[in-house]
Amino acid sequence: MADHRGALDNVLGNVRGGMIPAHIYNDKEIFELEKERLFSRAWVFVAHESEIPQDGDYVVRRVLDDSFIITRDSKGDVRALFNMCLHRGMQVCRAEMGNASNFRCPYHGWTYRNDGRLTGLPFHREAYGGDDGFPRSSQTLLPAPNLGSYNGLIFINMDPSAQPLEDFLGDFRFYLDFYTKQSHGGLEVRGPQRWRIKANWKIGAENFAGDMYHTPHTHASIVEIGLFREPKAQKRKDGATYWAQCGGGTTYKLPPGDFEQRMRYVGYPDEMIDRIKRVWTPPQQQLVGEDGFMISAASCFPNLSFVHNWPKVLDSADGTDSPDDVRPFISIRLWQPISENETEVCSWFAVDSAAPPEYKKNSYKAYLMCFGSTGMFEQDDVENWVSLTNTAGGAMARRLLLNSRMGLLSDDSPVVDKLPSEAFHGPGYAQVGYNENNQRALLRLWADHVQMPPVSTATTALGTAATI
Amino acid sequence: MSTAQLGKPVGKPLPFNDNRHLQAHQFLVDEAYLLDAQDYETWLDTITDDIRYLMPVRVTTALGSGFDTSPGMAHFDEDKYSLSRRVARFATEHAWTEDPPSRMRHYITNVRTFACDDDAHLVVESAELLFRSRGDVNEAALVSCGRHDVLRRCTDQWKLARRTIMVDESVLRMQNLAVFL
Repeated sequence: MADHRGALDNVLGNVRGGMIPAHIYNDKEIFELEKERLFSRAWVFVAHESEIPQDGDYVVRRVLDDSFIITRDSKGDVRALFNMCLHRGMQVCRAEMGNASNFRCPYHGWTYRNDGRLTGLPFHREAYGGDDGFPRSSQTLLPAPNLGSYNGLIFINMDPSAQPLEDFLGDFRFYLDFYTKQSHGGLEVRGPQRWRIKANWKIGAENFAGDMYHTPHTHASIVEIGLFREPKAQKRKDGATYWAQCGGGTTYKLPPGDFEQRMRYVGYPDEMIDRIKRVWTPPQQQLVGEDGFMISAASCFPNLSFVHNWPKVLDSADGTDSPDDVRPFISIRLWQPISENETEVCSWFAVDSAAPPEYKKNSYKAYLMCFGSTGMFEQDDVENWVSLTNTAGGAMARRLLLNSRMGLLSDDSPVVDKLPSEAFHGPGYAQVGYNENNQRALLRLWADHVQMPPVSTATTALGTAATI
Repeated sequence: MSTAQLGKPVGKPLPFNDNRHLQAHQFLVDEAYLLDAQDYETWLDTITDDIRYLMPVRVTTALGSGFDTSPGMAHFDEDKYSLSRRVARFATEHAWTEDPPSRMRHYITNVRTFACDDDAHLVVESAELLFRSRGDVNEAALVSCGRHDVLRRCTDQWKLARRTIMVDESVLRMQNLAVFL
């Protein structure tokens, strides 16, 4: 055990130094530690409130192996209920989505309201002697230990004493707003598309957090076919990366212009720009309008990512390129761990609920062409990540420390200076150019979690006075 | 325009010895050969300029809920422009996901052809199983689906005008859909 701890400390020490033991991307023991120490106390995204707009609407989502019903109860409150009957443990809801006032267990017919309360217990008097044997009235499906939401994004935390979601998100909320708040009405999301890839979950999270360096090469074909003009290597490295507390991302540097001109350049119609100006703070607008940076990909620790790009989705009648052919899209995605070498990707299309119908249509089209199960960016990304995961499972991978120190000199001083606040109006650490600051920041948080003791949990005993 | 609006099927499936059924069946089999060979340029010539190529996301819902696809979300929802970009990408030297290429086999079966209320169109239903193998030892992946197609009579050939692909899985077990179904 001591040896084991020594080995783990060694792995985590290397990770913190920017040298990554390759096996962490395909290692059963590491994955067990991630389950026990990281996902047991991290805020994990499960749904967006727009997926359950009406009372009674529900979606069923997992946190690792645990199934939760995310419902809007009959009073309009959002709940996350552990999907397990209190009696014999059946799943009380076996659909992925729908609308229900009640969930009835198919095994013995116990019935729960959509707020979790146990309301139906067949033969309660005959079988249990009524409330003497099993007090029915106070019972509910187990609620998620901790529930939080920000801009409609719903998160579960398995640790009842976790820090509040807003505190956890902290400065990263500045950047989350770009993706999730473009009007007072907020987002509407569709999906998710779900598919399983034979890749470790951390790779996608790292890639979206800060890998500007891969874009010109991995996605060369996207530029060649004229779908997205920005990723050319020369343009890509002019963008900035930023890291703020629990998350970070990448940006592109836009051509000269003011806020409106730059928003138009990426394809926002004027009416959306007007609404955006009413909800983004002055510094959020300055990041675009004065600093010239437009958000692209981002990750929020541990496994939630975002992307905002502006491909060419329309074919001009005259065959020439027009700025009007470009439309932005937003995707929210979850890298849901299945095992050390398998991930379920859940990819939502997101769009401002107040956007005009024509915009929504083209933004959706832009999403489908670029990301998701058929997306042309995503196709090449996943090919890389599967290959990396395969290779990381062998013995040689244990002898190799991958260099993740891009942006640092040997004495840990930066290759490129931090951007001053007057050149980058967002919080956190930002710099221009290729670097792996964000991947290192994400993995440092990962290392801190993997080193923590397991979360202590309480047991709930139902319908009995006995102490367990 | 939805599939339902174009090519309204009339009556029972055509007999298997009906010439229209034979032509529709041959269209699907010939198409499967093009897709197996990844001869996508030729494949593009077999679809109409007003194509709608749709593959909804399937979801598990309670019996009687009245829907089994994810509202407003698809895997593919394509027109000729977006399909042509996908094909053009495969023709570049940087479509890494298919370099080296997959070995693919599109199995087409359960073909039923329906005449339409106009002579210019046929409705064709088929079942499809795609086997896809990448690399030497990676686990192969399968996609099973049903297809509802509308074929249009063009000057010297039938062309695909509408396709709706109903995949049989909610969560796909394939690393991407850098393929056509």
